[in-house]
Amino acid sequence: MLRILKNPRLIWLVLAIPGIAMVAGFVRDPVTAFDLIHPSGEYSVRLMIVAMMISPLRAVLGRRSWLDWLLAHRRALGVAAFGYGALHLAFYLYDMGDWGMIAEEAVIFSIWTGYAAMLIFAAMAATSNAASQRMLKANWKRLQRLVYPAAVLIALHWLYVDGEWEAMLAHFVPLLVLEIIRVVLMLKRRSARRAKHAMVN
Amino acid sequence: MKFGQAMLAVAAATAMQFSASPAAFATGKMKCDAGPQSGWKSRTDLESKLKKDGWTVKKSKVDGGCYEVYGVTPEGQNVEAYFHPVTMEKLLVSQRGKVIFKK
Ligand code: HEM
Repeated sequence: MLRILKNPRLIWLVLAIPGIAMVAGFVRDPVTAFDLIHPSGEYSVRLMIVAMMISPLRAVLGRRSWLDWLLAHRRALGVAAFGYGALHLAFYLYDMGDWGMIAEEAVIFSIWTGYAAMLIFAAMAATSNAASQRMLKANWKRLQRLVYPAAVLIALHWLYVDGEWEAMLAHFVPLLVLEIIRVVLMLKRRSARRAKHAMVN
Repeated sequence: MKFGQAMLAVAAATAMQFSASPAAFATGKMKCDAGPQSGWKSRTDLESKLKKDGWTVKKSKVDGGCYEVYGVTPEGQNVEAYFHPVTMEKLLVSQRGKVIFKK
């Protein structure tokens, strides 16, 4: 059982299942594209948030085997978040069905924030491999950190596109709280180190 | 782009958005006080009236005591529109959260 959990192909398959169901629904009845914008966007956000929670959870809880497991599969989570974002965009474009109107909407705040976040996701997904990691060196980490502005963009995208602020907060507040705890812990540890130094001197 | 610069750019764009349309998301919804549902016109009537006027209706439901319609206006804009369930009057139309008509 535990061996199965370590199979990388299985992880990709599990992450893809809801997407396969959405695409199957769309193929059966393309009119559902409108209804699929919502779930594909939500899957994308959730996967991004889970991927983003791993580091702060480790900072708060220390090393746990389930966190190690998540960390080992963080790349899959991130790439899947991009995949659902791309699916979300595809359903949106199909539902709009008119390039002129697509261009007209692209300048609305709630929509360009979505495109901007998607650009960041695309850059991160394209470099989510060992070769890019080697090539970009320190810049790779910098690029990965763009996930924070991407998260802010998506929170705004969600808030403005349909005003469902309760659902948006339900997703983002846990991450925000964890990040705050992480920063507080970091500052505490730093000042404790400084105090120790002061005593030694 | 550096991390700090990226954050600054997002913060600036957000600040601009808030100053241009304070809490637009809060006004993208509508409430109606239209009495008991027995006195309402039917949703099907509203849909067929809209279709006759050149709209495409994707979906409609009751929201905040109003009829809420997702669809495309005769001008081709994808919108979320609120109508009074008794008078069928158009109350609010927003395009992706941006209010483009308000009674
Ligand atoms: C690529 C450009 C994007 C466009 C054009 C776009 C467009 C849209 C539209 C039109 C909606 C409203 C759907 C509805 O009313 O049912 C929506 C909702 C949403 N989008 Fe996007 N989006 C984009 C990127 C993203 C990305 C990258 C994410 C996530 C990482 C995302 C997450 C969401 C979420 C969570 C919702 C809310 C679902 C809902 O409550 O309806 N979007 N998006």
